[in-house]
Amino acid sequence: MTPGDAVPMAAASSGARSTAWDQVIFSMIAALAVLMVCYPVLVVALRSISKEEIGSSLTLEWITAVFDSARSREALVNTVIYTAGASVLAMGLGVLLAFLSARTDMPGGRTIGFLALLPMLVPPFILVVGWVAIADPSAGFINILASALTGRRTTWVNINTMSGLIWMTGLFLTPYVYLLVAAGFRSSDSAMEEAARVSGAGRLRLLYTIILPLQRPALLAALLLVIIMAAGDFIIPATVGLKAKIYMLPSLIWQNHSSFPARPGLAAAQSLLLVAVGLLCIYFQRRALSRGGRYTTVGGKGSRPMLFPLGKLRYPLGVLALLFALSSSVIPLLAVGSMAFMKYWSPYALKPENLTWRNFNYMLFEYPQVWPSAQHSLFLGFTGATACVVLAIALAWYVIRMRGKFAGIVEYAMVLPLGIPGIALGVGILSLWILVPGGIYGTLWILLLAYVTAHIPVAMQFVSSALHRIHTDLEDAPRISGQAWAGTLWLIDVPLMRPALIGCWLLMYVVILREISLVILLYNPSTIVLSVGLMDVWSNGFYPELAVYSLLLLVLGVVPVAVLWKFARFSSD
Amino acid sequence: MKFSEDASGLSVWGLIKSYGGEGGVRALDNFSLDFPAGQCTVLLGPSGCGKTTVLRSIAGLIAPDEGRITIDRSVVFDASAGSDVPPEKRRLGMVFQSYALWPHLSVAENIAYPLLSAGMPKTEVARRTNAMLAWIGLTGMGSRYVHELSGGQQQRISLARAMVAKPRAILFDEPLSNLDARLRERMRLELLALRQQAPFTSIYVTHDQLEAMTLADRVVVMRAGKIEQVGSPEEVYKRPRTRFSADFVGIPNLLDATVRSITGSDLIVETAVGALAARSWRTDWTSGARCTVAARPTLLMVQPGDAGEGRSGRVIRSVFQGASTIELIEFDGTEVAIESLGEERHAPGSIVAVKPALGAVFAVLDD
Repeated sequence: MTPGDAVPMAAASSGARSTAWDQVIFSMIAALAVLMVCYPVLVVALRSISKEEIGSSLTLEWITAVFDSARSREALVNTVIYTAGASVLAMGLGVLLAFLSARTDMPGGRTIGFLALLPMLVPPFILVVGWVAIADPSAGFINILASALTGRRTTWVNINTMSGLIWMTGLFLTPYVYLLVAAGFRSSDSAMEEAARVSGAGRLRLLYTIILPLQRPALLAALLLVIIMAAGDFIIPATVGLKAKIYMLPSLIWQNHSSFPARPGLAAAQSLLLVAVGLLCIYFQRRALSRGGRYTTVGGKGSRPMLFPLGKLRYPLGVLALLFALSSSVIPLLAVGSMAFMKYWSPYALKPENLTWRNFNYMLFEYPQVWPSAQHSLFLGFTGATACVVLAIALAWYVIRMRGKFAGIVEYAMVLPLGIPGIALGVGILSLWILVPGGIYGTLWILLLAYVTAHIPVAMQFVSSALHRIHTDLEDAPRISGQAWAGTLWLIDVPLMRPALIGCWLLMYVVILREISLVILLYNPSTIVLSVGLMDVWSNGFYPELAVYSLLLLVLGVVPVAVLWKFARFSSD
Repeated sequence: MKFSEDASGLSVWGLIKSYGGEGGVRALDNFSLDFPAGQCTVLLGPSGCGKTTVLRSIAGLIAPDEGRITIDRSVVFDASAGSDVPPEKRRLGMVFQSYALWPHLSVAENIAYPLLSAGMPKTEVARRTNAMLAWIGLTGMGSRYVHELSGGQQQRISLARAMVAKPRAILFDEPLSNLDARLRERMRLELLALRQQAPFTSIYVTHDQLEAMTLADRVVVMRAGKIEQVGSPEEVYKRPRTRFSADFVGIPNLLDATVRSITGSDLIVETAVGALAARSWRTDWTSGARCTVAARPTLLMVQPGDAGEGRSGRVIRSVFQGASTIELIEFDGTEVAIESLGEERHAPGSIVAVKPALGAVFAVLDD
């Protein structure tokens, strides 16, 4: 052996050694992550068949009570109606807006497309407050207007009804449908549509035999997502829903936990039902998406798909679409904005002499909870988003590049939280850690754990798709020159994925800041966060202050997005 | 170009189509052509010559700015009258480059689609679909999905779908260009066999001269939205009218020449490789005029040594390509490619004599 050979040999063996260490470390991270997402489901299941805390004698009384107790049965029926109604509304609106803006000659399609996505940035609480301001039976803008027009007390719309709740949730879920469906409409293969037209299909037949069926996987995935989100939705049932005395499972779970007499066993059983529905939906959604594979075919010459001419309906439909797009973000925001300046809540008060800065002054400087909760929220937003991204990188690396022993299990497990409603996840986490003496219960750390558990699936999807796009040659080069895997990850992949990682971080930050259902059972007065603080103000019923508070949440949520968005855009293409 | 609206088959007249608004690219520049019934007309040209625009205008997938289109004597498009029959009412069949088969439908459902669109009763649809499946050799595979089949099978399904409703004409938009070379060759011969079994009116767009030569009853060479030359494949290949046509059908030797004598339409021209018998489409040649001759590489012969009546040249390169040999020979600064089936090859630098093959008639170009 010549002296020259010794150098690469040494490099190779040191590389192999650190690879073994990498394997151990990454495997441990993966195992802990699987544990983190799985135990809440097990704990919920155990708690729902335990008489007292976990470990006490077993019973089926809680599970039967879900269906036997009048209140629970009522909530069950309401949840079904609410979920069905909101899903139908969101699907209808989302698909229609996506189709109109992507595939017709409707004016302003791009603007409407942007507006349709805007509610994803706005915390749902603002939509709730806004729609209360607009459609409250006595003091809502619309009914005030109706009374003024008819000359007597008139109620045209009432938000405190099942249809009111469905309306708000449907609007809130529409952007998710739009997001999943619009891209498909826009990129559909024009040759397939031309083939149908030459084969004798008129526009309508083309639409329902070719265009819509081609989007079947995306439509099904959107429907299942919307069902999960509606069934597990907490904020609307817990605010307007409780005010209107329309009980639903998520709000009932909260009450069974926190109101006297507390019945955590029943809450766990109700959670278990929601989890079962959610996981079932996730299963079918995955199946639909994986079967979508056969929908990808040989690409042809890429001409843009034809735009459906709307004829005389162009402008009316454009205005209608704009109105719907606006009513899920801009209109409620304006309502909240105007409410924030009122001395007392009545649209009649919207005169110069009744406007005031007092609400801002009070909420921002005098209200005792506001700054602690803002601090906690910001802390959790930053650490939570960072933790999600870092963990997602480690897991994606383990699954995609290392193809570790448990890669398959990790992949499946990381999907689970998508099917678990926040309130149910909260029940699971609470039921375990309340038993651990001197542990993290009652600290900010348990909230952090909850956030990471709930949002790791989405973070992992983000990072995985970014990692898949990086060609392995780019990684092999430094590895051949002696870098270990971890070094490669840090030096090559992380910089290449930067836009995706920033985007992922932002999304995590936004959803953590607005999250309520997850933490409503886990917080205590010393760890209150902004979104939970909003629930307090809501129950006090002083809406102008609520408006200020929710605007603060909006600002804190949107500012980092606006700042960092520039960096994300910078190299995203 | 004569235009007869009473002919059965397809006619387009005065088609103009511009892209990119005023001053944009003219994809079609006053394009007129008859497509006789029962014949296969191949539109041949490089990308951007407007051949696909003609096809899509006939299908009704794009509307020309000006012009008229008739199918079997009925007007389907007339810009001046503002009439435009939508594609679904034109009763045509079309085969796409990407096959454009629908992945959410089975093979049989794909084929049956035009029949169902026409509102045909279910039993008749099933009968015709099964007949079509048998015809393309996919009997029993009707319930499969498109992604389970090979490229060649997909192409056949796409053809069956285009033919099943007995359309007035079938439009082919570069249907073989997604296939690999061997499969392309096989499909080309299959298409030819089909056409010979039962002739149907077809318009075929391609940039592959071999496809054009094999499949066409008539080849239309297109350039920049206009017709460069129309004729039978043999005519276009043996007597290209212009440099562009000669180049596009694959003739590498365009030789400068001088007209020496004229006898009716027969010319004798003087070139670097000697005097050649030639023919031209133009009739206004005078003795001594400069012209260009397209010399097909197979019409010249190489003989070793400078003996004989041929002109002498120096071998630059000899390229063995299996069935034939191409030799690149220089005559006073003019390079000429000569293709021979013989086994004999010549070393670079050696001097050889070249003469035209017995009875060879060369093409004098118009430009």
